[in-house]
Amino acid sequence: MIDMEPLTIGIIGIFALMGLVFIGVRVFIAAGAVGMAGLIAIIGWDAGVGMAGTIPHSKSLTYVLSVLPMFILIGYLAFHAGMTQAVFEAARKWLGWLPGGLAVATVFATAGFAAVSGASTATAAVFARTAIPEMLRHGYDRRLAAGVVAAGGTLASLIPPSAILVLYAIIVEESVGQLLLAGFIPGIISAVIYAVIIVTRVMVSPEMAPKTERFQLFPALKATPGTWPIVAVIAIIFSAIYNGWATPTDAGALGAFVVFSVALYRGMTANKLKEALLETAKLTVMIFSIIWGVLVFVRFMGFAGLPAAFADLLTGLDMSPTLIIIMILIGYAILGMFMDGIGMLLLTLPIVYPAVIALGYDSIWFGIIVVKMVEVCLITPPIGLNCYVVHGVRPDIPLQDVFRGIGLFFVADILTVALFIAYPEIITWLPDLVAGRG
Amino acid sequence: MVAVNDSGYGANLAAVNRIYSIFEDILAWVSAAGIFLLMFFGTAQIVMAKIFNYPIFGYIDLVEQSIALFAFLAVAYCQRLGGHVRMELIISRFSGRTFWFAEVLSILASMVFIALMISPSYGHFLRAWEAGDSTINAEIAIWPTKLMVPVALTILWLRLFLQFLGYFRLFLTPTATPIAVPLVLDVEEQAEGEIQDALGDDYKADADEDAKQ
Repeated sequence: MIDMEPLTIGIIGIFALMGLVFIGVRVFIAAGAVGMAGLIAIIGWDAGVGMAGTIPHSKSLTYVLSVLPMFILIGYLAFHAGMTQAVFEAARKWLGWLPGGLAVATVFATAGFAAVSGASTATAAVFARTAIPEMLRHGYDRRLAAGVVAAGGTLASLIPPSAILVLYAIIVEESVGQLLLAGFIPGIISAVIYAVIIVTRVMVSPEMAPKTERFQLFPALKATPGTWPIVAVIAIIFSAIYNGWATPTDAGALGAFVVFSVALYRGMTANKLKEALLETAKLTVMIFSIIWGVLVFVRFMGFAGLPAAFADLLTGLDMSPTLIIIMILIGYAILGMFMDGIGMLLLTLPIVYPAVIALGYDSIWFGIIVVKMVEVCLITPPIGLNCYVVHGVRPDIPLQDVFRGIGLFFVADILTVALFIAYPEIITWLPDLVAGRG
Repeated sequence: MVAVNDSGYGANLAAVNRIYSIFEDILAWVSAAGIFLLMFFGTAQIVMAKIFNYPIFGYIDLVEQSIALFAFLAVAYCQRLGGHVRMELIISRFSGRTFWFAEVLSILASMVFIALMISPSYGHFLRAWEAGDSTINAEIAIWPTKLMVPVALTILWLRLFLQFLGYFRLFLTPTATPIAVPLVLDVEEQAEGEIQDALGDDYKADADEDAKQ
């Protein structure tokens, strides 16, 4: 044990963690190592090491976590189920008549596919190949075409199945089911706001997107069945949680089975299946490692009393809670420019979350807001991985054009977050309804 | 001072890395198979419980214990492929010997932590083994999954050691070809990787064709 105030040790721990993360130590190791060192400093060698050593097993082997590999598997299999072209065609037949219709169709097609695949960047890659050529062929402004594809993928994390919402739920000990439900409406609203902003922009400058399609009911109806695997997966998971007929894990397993069957039917080879399974295993172990690493750190933070102290500090500020929450979100936006979303979320939540709750905010509401922020970071410079992906698939569209095209959607995202802050019921209504809370 | 014969050092490291990778691949396979089976198992549970009104006995216990397969076994495989999240923005600014030195430091810190985790997680297993702990409903013995933690961490430690040797070699000879270490990718290379994963190798040809139109 070290003769020092636990709080002081906690603060030193935060700096040590930042130092290790900055020199490039893997996040799970940095969090676990600082957590263990902190526990040793506060409760002594044997107790500290002993406590850290039991966490991987005791915290990982809980039933709720078994949903993660299922959601991840759905994502990897989705790419082999040949759904992208079909979903784009259907969206186009239904929405193509609007001003900027192809771009609006792209928003809904990417939102649907990203929700199931759970992968923003990969969705951007796929639609850069499917949707951008169509838009350019019809004379769309290339910045708009590139921007909508890069931004559309970011709708992945809110609509179920969403692994990142599950992670949030685990770290803050909220109900996984309620978070998954809570993301649904905000996910749809985000997509609608994207659509509205495209339509408005194109009405102001019609030359950006020449009108190409007329609405015809019969072809639209005919194109719809192609989207069924996506609708099925979202519906299975949503209805299982909403009506309680299956746990998220079981619903995830069934969803994966459906996508797997479709992929087999569409001729997925054994090699592709092998790749998808190994990628799933790799991402799964990565996430589990971060979970236990961060939970060692969380245990240390608890002993140091730092989250409580941080909460006291924030609630003692002579500032409105809304202003504080906005500052926290700006902090996330800045951090997100330099760090992977999962790592950023798991490292910061143990300290930020109790403070947010102490300010009187709803835990489910904050989860949706913060996950939305993580997604926004996928399109903001300097990293903005989605933009690089679009440029990579379409080298003929300069990177700065992709980033310029994103500007519109960045504004839309800020409006969306502002809307959720002003009207938190948008997020909490559905989970409240189901759980009968509040 | 020990002279490092790069060709010998590098060749031996490459050989050990190759053999060890096979071992890690097998464990990753077990992990992947666990996930694949869980998909069928979960689907079967829904069918049994909802259609036949006959839920699988001990289902939750079995699922919980199966988590150990994919939570731990592939940890070294993921480390080898550079799959564990980290922040590369700062160290990717370094180059040459400074860069490799930062990597050596970061691997050493990792080795110390993982080494310290092995013994208490083994103790956690030993207590379950001696007490004959089992799950509540199906009474499945818990010790096998508890044993997986120190085993997986030991395998990870050996992988870290190989990476340490790999980084140390590059620290000594920064111009050598990297062996047994994952490479740091800049954002464009990461984007390239994502695209390859999503679209396969033929996307460039497509893009060129579209650009011509």
